[in-house]
Amino acid sequence: MNGLRILLRQPRSLVGAGILLVLLLMGLLAPVLTPYNPTSLEFSAYMPFSAQHPLGTTAIGQDIFSQLLYGARLTLLVGAVAGLIATLLSVALGLTAAYVGGWVDEAINALINVFLVLPGLPLVIIAAAFLRGGGVWPVILVISLTGWAWGARVLRAQAMALRERDFVQAAVASGEGPGRIIFMEILPNMTSLIAANFFGAALYAVLSEAGLSFIGVGDVSLVTWGTMLYWAQAKGALLQGAWWWVAMPGLGIALLGTSFALLNFAIDQLGNPRLGWGSVKSFRRTLPPAPAPNPNALLAVRDLDVGYVTPQGTVRAVRKVSLDVAPGEFVGLAGESGCGKSTLAFAATRLLNPPGEVLGGSVTLAGQDLLALAPEALRQVRWKEFSVVFQASMNVLNPVLKIREQVYDAMQAHGITDPAKLDARARELFSMVGIQTRYLDSYPHQLSGGMKQRVVIAIALALEPKLIVMDEPTTALDVVVQRQILQEIAEVRRRLKISIVFITHDLSLLVEMSDRVAIMYAGELVEQAPAHELYAHPAHPYTQQLMKAFPPMTGPRERRSGIPGRPPSLSETLPGCPFFERCAVRMPGICDVKPLETFRIAEAHTVACFLYDPAVSPATKELALSHAPNSVIAQPLVSQEVRLEPVPNPALH
Amino acid sequence: MSQSQTPLSTNFPASAPASGPNTLDIVNLRKVFGGRGKSGGVVAVNDVSFSIRRGEVLGLVGESGSGKSTIARLIARLHQPTSGEIRLNGEVVPHKLGGQGLRQLRRRVQMIFQDPYASLNPLHPVRYTLARPLKIHRLARGNTDPQVTALLERVGLTPALTYAAKRPFELSGGQRQRVGIARALAAQPELILADEPTSALDVSIRLDVMNLMLDLKDQEGLSMLFITHDLAGARYMSDRVAVLYAGTLVEIGPAVQVIDQPQHPYTQLLKSAAPKPDAGLTPDHIEARGEVPDLSTLPPGCPFEPRCPYAMPECKNGLPKLYDVGEEHQARCLLHDPAIKAQRAGAVAGYAL
Amino acid sequence: MPYLLRKLVILVFTLWMAATLNFVLPRLVPGDPVSVMLAKYQGRLDPSAVDALKIAYGLNDLGSPVAQYFTYLGQILRGDFGRSISLFPTPVSDVIGQALPYTLGLVGITTVLSFLIGSALGVYSGWRRGHPVADALTPIALFLNSMPYFWFALLMLYMFAFKLRWFPLGGALDPFPGPAFSSGWWSSLLRHSMLPVFTILITSVGGWLLTMRNNVVSVTSEDYLAFARAKGLPERRILSRYVLRNALLPSFTSFGMALGFVVGGSILTEIVFSYPGLGFYLYQAVVGLDYPLMQALFFIIALTVLAANFAVDLLNVILDPRIREGRA
Repeated sequence: MNGLRILLRQPRSLVGAGILLVLLLMGLLAPVLTPYNPTSLEFSAYMPFSAQHPLGTTAIGQDIFSQLLYGARLTLLVGAVAGLIATLLSVALGLTAAYVGGWVDEAINALINVFLVLPGLPLVIIAAAFLRGGGVWPVILVISLTGWAWGARVLRAQAMALRERDFVQAAVASGEGPGRIIFMEILPNMTSLIAANFFGAALYAVLSEAGLSFIGVGDVSLVTWGTMLYWAQAKGALLQGAWWWVAMPGLGIALLGTSFALLNFAIDQLGNPRLGWGSVKSFRRTLPPAPAPNPNALLAVRDLDVGYVTPQGTVRAVRKVSLDVAPGEFVGLAGESGCGKSTLAFAATRLLNPPGEVLGGSVTLAGQDLLALAPEALRQVRWKEFSVVFQASMNVLNPVLKIREQVYDAMQAHGITDPAKLDARARELFSMVGIQTRYLDSYPHQLSGGMKQRVVIAIALALEPKLIVMDEPTTALDVVVQRQILQEIAEVRRRLKISIVFITHDLSLLVEMSDRVAIMYAGELVEQAPAHELYAHPAHPYTQQLMKAFPPMTGPRERRSGIPGRPPSLSETLPGCPFFERCAVRMPGICDVKPLETFRIAEAHTVACFLYDPAVSPATKELALSHAPNSVIAQPLVSQEVRLEPVPNPALH
Repeated sequence: MSQSQTPLSTNFPASAPASGPNTLDIVNLRKVFGGRGKSGGVVAVNDVSFSIRRGEVLGLVGESGSGKSTIARLIARLHQPTSGEIRLNGEVVPHKLGGQGLRQLRRRVQMIFQDPYASLNPLHPVRYTLARPLKIHRLARGNTDPQVTALLERVGLTPALTYAAKRPFELSGGQRQRVGIARALAAQPELILADEPTSALDVSIRLDVMNLMLDLKDQEGLSMLFITHDLAGARYMSDRVAVLYAGTLVEIGPAVQVIDQPQHPYTQLLKSAAPKPDAGLTPDHIEARGEVPDLSTLPPGCPFEPRCPYAMPECKNGLPKLYDVGEEHQARCLLHDPAIKAQRAGAVAGYAL
Repeated sequence: MPYLLRKLVILVFTLWMAATLNFVLPRLVPGDPVSVMLAKYQGRLDPSAVDALKIAYGLNDLGSPVAQYFTYLGQILRGDFGRSISLFPTPVSDVIGQALPYTLGLVGITTVLSFLIGSALGVYSGWRRGHPVADALTPIALFLNSMPYFWFALLMLYMFAFKLRWFPLGGALDPFPGPAFSSGWWSSLLRHSMLPVFTILITSVGGWLLTMRNNVVSVTSEDYLAFARAKGLPERRILSRYVLRNALLPSFTSFGMALGFVVGGSILTEIVFSYPGLGFYLYQAVVGLDYPLMQALFFIIALTVLAANFAVDLLNVILDPRIREGRA
């Protein structure tokens, strides 16, 4: 239902459905729209256009307009019925193959492959030639029997993927029988694919019927657009100059086919939204001027606002975030999924894809305004000044190119072209991150996940950039490999004095690795402090609870609690603190109404929490802290209160 | 638990006699994927034996590819074991199970899946998901709503009626996983197999989901297999912990003991590699060569030998047995062999722990 | 190489299926095809032609259907398709030998051209999404792809051959084109093939365009493309080594299915232009109830399509390292 609504909003499917509706009405309302019988021979031959005969008459005196209207009926019927039968066959065979598996699957798959490569139309022609004369049904049958394979292939693949999905496995594990598994779990999730497949098969059916009728196999005594073309050709309509006799039914077929194809295409996009993404907008800078960056910082992010522009409204994923990274500094950026940490990194490195958009603020790298750079200038800065390590190392390497080429091309793009130099550097990089140089000549699929991530880090180091942004570089890896790679990152960074922005949801890991840690929550940067300071004196209630949210590895086994509730939706505009709902020490009347402010509580420690607001009376704070179920949370807040001092726009150092 | 023990099960870890039989015993469980006949194929689970007592949580720890999820799927019969024995409450689960027997097994053993975004059918409301096990196993007559409501309340999703009507996309990750737990509870199982139930969740809600499972265990005496790659999580959740490496059980024992004083070099490696939020700011440096081996080309001896800092020539001579290293605590490592111990007095202290 | 071996097995299996269909179909018809033909020709059929027919259908020796089947397979393996009825007593293989070069030339050239043009447009349309021209290409391609080939052929014929008289009305050569391969002969051949080539190009280009566009769009959202961008690679390099290399592979995979469709369409195009290729003779055979010719033509068309498919599979092996190791 939901899909249907989305479908009806798309111009493509609307046009497709519109054409189909018009053609359908033509067929249904034929008796109303024309007084003539399509097969009666009551008029003279080749009459020109007139009010009486809008499209003239045929060589044997039939009204072409009425033939066109009545022809729509059978043409649509053939398309719909053959499409339906072919789709049913596809579903039955595809699902059986995927569900039963084993030799049944292999047999069906072989059959599919055979029918996929057998040229369909010649087969239909000879099959129909043997079965000719039986009206429209043999034609429908032959077309369905040759048109199911493409759909069966797609549906089989989809059903196999669904079968391995956890919810199907869960249904099996809870004792569901095969019938319910297929009809309640798998099949409903394939609806859009089946629908798309139906329109594809219907398109094939209409075109095949037209082709068959045109060469006279099939039943030419029936009126379809295909047989109209047959008679037009047989009677030499074109030689008589009666081009409309040919043009009209063909146009009908082409339009019907287009409407099927549009619907197929539009429904396909529902399941595979990537295909539908409209435009890749080029970056145009119309941002309000941002405050001047800190001249000492290597990377200065100022008041950065990033949003995802969707039809339902703008999702503000990053909200006025400011962050500095000093030369050689390791900054950890932590937060839960959906807090905006990756969006921040992508926006700051100009890698954000639509519908993501920078809505305000500035990003300065070594004095250069990154957001203002023209494409070619940006290309030159990339990798030379800063590089990026993505989360999904499994997928960032091009599967069809050798690793060597992918290490080289980063350097070649920035002016290093001497083969000897390239080779020497590649070897050097590989030994730096602990991979044998022989893997330079491998393809990505020959490497394990950990090795691929090392390759990516090696590539990131290729031009010795001043800054590397790492977005959860080790999350997908096992703990041991993760630890090995982290050690190498720490080692390389110390040696090369590179700045690193390290993004992860794993706070404990950041505390170990970073010089400074910044915590994000719901698009806001809620706290930043030197790692040891954050570890010893977390100031924000969220940070405090987050630090306690890990089961301990040592000490007595005791119950701990997580943070109740969930983060607010980013499409909302919140009047106050985004953590208010989940906060144990919230101050109603203040936190939920005042716009969020950031306060400096120590030399390099800022926190966005009103407990540190000097304007709030100590009595109010005491009251809030007394409600805290866990006194551990409350402790540091009180003791640090003496150092409070408001900092509306934090500029560190 | 002695009456039905087969002579094959020399590896079977000793269990203290509890009242009645164990909820689960698995004996020399083996699963080979692919390959025809005796040669070839990938040994995903290599003769693993352990048991879970009534009301106990056994943590099963290992990295990806260690076979930990496969074991759960073998017990739930999502895969067919290649060989070995599974006993539920002392009764042997037959190797061949038909419709009726399978359904019965699936009432007694329930799974909780890792990814709550994938384990609920996006098209069905919560009510359907929870009512199905009740209907399949004939645990409800007619209207299932009261029982669905009770289930939702047990997992802390209140008001239950509101949640019953929701579809998965309207729920957060933590709420979905609670629905997953409620689905597992619906069939009133004897054993719950929790396959990394918190690793796909955000840090801030993981503990609450773990606490919920601990509460259910305490209140209802559930037995549970808790699969995880996170030692700290296993320590928090489990009474005992079993450590898997490349399909082989390498260490098993009381949770605190195994994790505080690991006796197998692999467990030691795992521990030193884990992030330690409480341990301070100086990470350990770990010495580890290579990665988890390709399961289709395992070395003949101890699977960890190629990466082990203590590897000796003897390690290649076949899979070591499990040695007793403490009360109810066993490790599969030759360093604990009395003869070898005598040779290299007090050698198991390589990693900074 | 297990991948190619598997493809080869499928090829042989498919050919066998085609041959078997050929054998089974006539036997599904109520009554036997010989008497149907006898009825149609009403005694105008040469007695030796009747004999040839009976031999073709194994009706003269009263062996079991199984024996008939194996005799039939043996004949096909020897390339013996019997004699044509409508062109009696020309052996079917002679007819095919005459017609095959025309179809191979016409369909071969147009398929390669259409693949190149369509894919290039598809890359443009996928890569420059958001640009009005690039976005307009999709609906146009959908429309072109939905046109019946023969209908467009008829319109072309009417416009450019009948009305404007720029091109001949049909055939592959003038009645007296001069000696083969002379310049006059070539120009005659070229003039006759212009309209068919154009028709097949226009009607088949849309399919390639859509396939390639989808592939390019899929590739542009891959992580390796974002990584290539982040590396600061020049646009041209990203397009050639990252987008094209990866987008072409699925295009090749769908080549087989599309090829069958194009060949089917070309057959109808040949009929409209009386172009003396396989399609034209297939039509003649259907009209003349020339079953031996019909079946042989189907078999040869299937064989050609399968061979082309196999060639594409070979190319795939060269381009995709994963297939080379049997991983895909």
